Amino acid sequence: METNKFSQLLQKPFVLLDGAMGTMLQKSGLPMGALPELYNLTQPETITAIHRAYIKAGADVIYANTFGANRHKLAGSGFTPEQVIAAGIAAARQAVRGTGALVALDVGPIGELLEPAGSLSFDGAYEIFSQEITAGAAAGADLIAIETMTDLNETRAALLAAKENTDLPVICTMTFEESGRTFTGCSIPSMALTLEGLGADAVGINCSLGPDQLPPLVEELAKWTRLPIVVKPNAGLPDPSSQEYDIGPEQFAGYIAALIPYGIKIAGGCCGTTPEYLGMLRKALEGRSYQKPAFVPKAAVCSPSAAVPVDRARIIGERINPTGKKLFKQALIHEDIDYILNQAVSQVAAGADILDVNVGLPEIDEPRMMVRVVKALQGVVDTPLQLDSSDPAALEAGLRVYSGKAIVNSVNGEEESLNAVLPLVKQYGAAVVGLTLDKGGIPKTAEGRLAIAKRILERALSLGIPKENVFIDCLTLTASAEQAAVAETLRAVRMVKEQLGLKTVLGVSNISFGLPNRELVNHSFLTLALANGLDLPILNPNIKAMTDAVNAYHLLMNIDKGAEHFLSAYAQEDGAPAAAAPAGEAGDLSYAVEKGLKADAGRITGELLKTQEPMEIVNGLLIPALDAVGAKFESGKLFLPQLIQSANAAQAAFEVIKAHLSKTDKAPVSRGTIVLATVKGDIHDIGKNIVKVLLENYGYTVIDLGRDVEYEAVVDAAIRHKAKLVGLSALMTTTLKSMEKTIALLRERQVDCKIMVGGAVLTPEYAKTIGADFYAKDAKESCDIAERVFPA
Amino acid sequence: MPITLTDLDREEIFRYLGYGGAQPDPATLALAEECSRELLAAAQPRYRYAVYPIWEGGRGVQVGDTPFFLEGESIREHLAGCRRAALLCATLSQPADRLIHTAGLGDMAKGLVMDVCASVAIEQVCDRAEEEIRAKLAAEEEGPLYFTFRFSPGYGDLPLTIQKEFLALLDAPRRIGLCATENQILTPRKSVTAVIGISEHPVEPRRRGCAVCPLNKTCAFRKRGDHCGNQ
Repeated sequence: METNKFSQLLQKPFVLLDGAMGTMLQKSGLPMGALPELYNLTQPETITAIHRAYIKAGADVIYANTFGANRHKLAGSGFTPEQVIAAGIAAARQAVRGTGALVALDVGPIGELLEPAGSLSFDGAYEIFSQEITAGAAAGADLIAIETMTDLNETRAALLAAKENTDLPVICTMTFEESGRTFTGCSIPSMALTLEGLGADAVGINCSLGPDQLPPLVEELAKWTRLPIVVKPNAGLPDPSSQEYDIGPEQFAGYIAALIPYGIKIAGGCCGTTPEYLGMLRKALEGRSYQKPAFVPKAAVCSPSAAVPVDRARIIGERINPTGKKLFKQALIHEDIDYILNQAVSQVAAGADILDVNVGLPEIDEPRMMVRVVKALQGVVDTPLQLDSSDPAALEAGLRVYSGKAIVNSVNGEEESLNAVLPLVKQYGAAVVGLTLDKGGIPKTAEGRLAIAKRILERALSLGIPKENVFIDCLTLTASAEQAAVAETLRAVRMVKEQLGLKTVLGVSNISFGLPNRELVNHSFLTLALANGLDLPILNPNIKAMTDAVNAYHLLMNIDKGAEHFLSAYAQEDGAPAAAAPAGEAGDLSYAVEKGLKADAGRITGELLKTQEPMEIVNGLLIPALDAVGAKFESGKLFLPQLIQSANAAQAAFEVIKAHLSKTDKAPVSRGTIVLATVKGDIHDIGKNIVKVLLENYGYTVIDLGRDVEYEAVVDAAIRHKAKLVGLSALMTTTLKSMEKTIALLRERQVDCKIMVGGAVLTPEYAKTIGADFYAKDAKESCDIAERVFPA
Repeated sequence: MPITLTDLDREEIFRYLGYGGAQPDPATLALAEECSRELLAAAQPRYRYAVYPIWEGGRGVQVGDTPFFLEGESIREHLAGCRRAALLCATLSQPADRLIHTAGLGDMAKGLVMDVCASVAIEQVCDRAEEEIRAKLAAEEEGPLYFTFRFSPGYGDLPLTIQKEFLALLDAPRRIGLCATENQILTPRKSVTAVIGISEHPVEPRRRGCAVCPLNKTCAFRKRGDHCGNQ
């Protein structure tokens, strides 16, 4: 019903929103720093009068005074969101009585940053928004206006809360700077792709900028969405001392009218605007017609800061996957997220446009790990992700927290798969890879695979998934086993591309399985596939021949116009050969460790392994070398950065030893398992990370739980990994109590472990009073403690 | 005026890293150069301030016509003789946090040096903002004005728990994307809130000093008989 009211409104050439509420309240005496939403309860008639003034000036939709009515901002006010929102909606309903105007529940940012920048979880944000939105719907809002957002994931949480708790239409606007980005780096294409996918009814821009600054932003937005476009800008820029805005009502209206050719449909005013502005705006739009932008749908995926249109071959990095990788499996079991992050960073550096993420292992809780890895990856790389799992629960868990528009890998032609996966793709606005196989297996012929692709597409369309979000994988079979099938796969790629008009995906590396010179086979196949219409090759970008093939293809097909990318990638190669790595000093392993020479430490260790046992090297050379460095650090002859650089060099040596051991199938060297965590509520992790690096390089296995870790999670990890030592870090006086609670829970559950604590505000005395076994004054001392807990 | 930093104080960087007067080794020197360059490119300094009349009220130092007050003996002493105060907040914004995190991934030494560079950078941003406040007031008023040093929540007995309200007063979450967590930790991480007292009469040119520092019991500088530079 409400959707109808809003869609009726959209029949008008332009829909007018209201102007500022805060500005009006300040004019009526609201002090700075006070919560404007409390006026709903204390002075409802003031609120109603402001709404009336806007309706009189021409507003079709008024935003109720509920912008900050969330439990975070209302904490300590003595009122609940339900009370404040019910009163706010009532005051607005009072104003619209007898007019055709609609009431929007105004939902602003929570006022606390989400992970990874802050400590509020996605689920926590979702709950806060759900409470507001449920209250708003119950109180009689006609629609929901999510506005002034800067974080795409926070906007997603609000929009999902709206879609999952009500049937009301939703307008979403975010706040951009002149650079075309929000404070958190979210771009306009990313906003559009993500919010349209999640089912917003209109998207746009509000606050922060004046209307004169909007043309380039609106122009960009119109290229990325088919939804009606909203603008609700400030009245220009505020004067720093008087806080007066610099654009007057008539000028403001003129600037907005000038946005008509760029495709605006819905307009109003934000900070600094008044009913006078709105009246002028109404006049300026009167008699004008809506100029709907010519929107061309395009396949694209995004993270908050990077949108990747599939308008050329885009490399999907395949390395985040445990299949056939011993070290990766070990990293997953030990929750070594940094290992995975390093895999991500190196693939992006090598040219990956998108990263495939597969964390499936029988030994681990895949949905939980998917969430953890997706969050961690989004904290370090801008590259969009492809979530890869055969478990729909893991896919959904990942999609829910993924900020942006992801690819789901994969669905296939089987009924069960279609039913389990496609609804998730629709709900979260993702793209999906459809595998051309079903109960009967992989069809031998290209025609058979095309038929399955068609079936997947039709099902997707029937669920409302737009065509451009369906990518088809025609499946690579290994050339050694089925030589004749290679040409059939290539033919299928071409047919899907030409007959269905869909983007295509192929895992490239399988082609050469069981053959010598795999690299040659792989990049030759890649080139053939690209020429047949492959858009999204899944490959290892760290193998240069593969990214080279893609670069050369773009050059030769005139996609890389003017060879710009090609020249920037290779121009230097011919001229000056890369400088040879400096020859290692004649020194030995302990010299390399002390001087922090990573490459040398690895190389020397490799040499030593030819003649010595791994443990001999560890105990006889590495540990004494680290001890010597540690002693110099303690006596002030050497400083923290050098201590860490030495640890890095030792780590390089350990990596060589680990790789050697995993080849010879011996158990990896470990002097013991230690769980580390920055306690709940605290998000400082540099100290803990330094401790981790040192401990690892003294040969311990470190289970790093990260920062802001729940009490329960520390206990679970200590039990699961049989850790004899747990290290806890807290940097703030406000989070010391979390440390105390974590220790109490470990003791209560009688976990068989020692506990060491550290952090700037801790003292040895305080450590004792909260029940820790050890206080570590610095990273070096934590290693000494570990040696006491795990005697050699 | 937007603040753009063009250089970081190397001496401060090495002081924070614990070098005291010692000559940094070439590897760390090179690392500091690299980190400074990357941090300056990534940081997006943003700040806000407002000047309020202040007076001693029942619950502490009352900040203008707002519901906000500053509680505790140390802030009262700090603002003694001042009839006005500037409330300042500043941040390097999220890209700096991300850079510190990524720098530490492959190489924790780089992570550490990056973190220190960011700490130095945010202080320099505050210095610049403070200069602006001084210049602006000087231009608007006749007589000479005197300013105290920047006093932040967590110093002495000025509670950290006021961060959220402090930021709300300056509308910092909306205007510059600076928020506080439930535990009153500023996010983005490399951010500062501070109070600067303003007086028409000379105020003691006090420095921050160890007495009000929350780390005065555990500080590594003090153990060495040194100080962090804010003495």
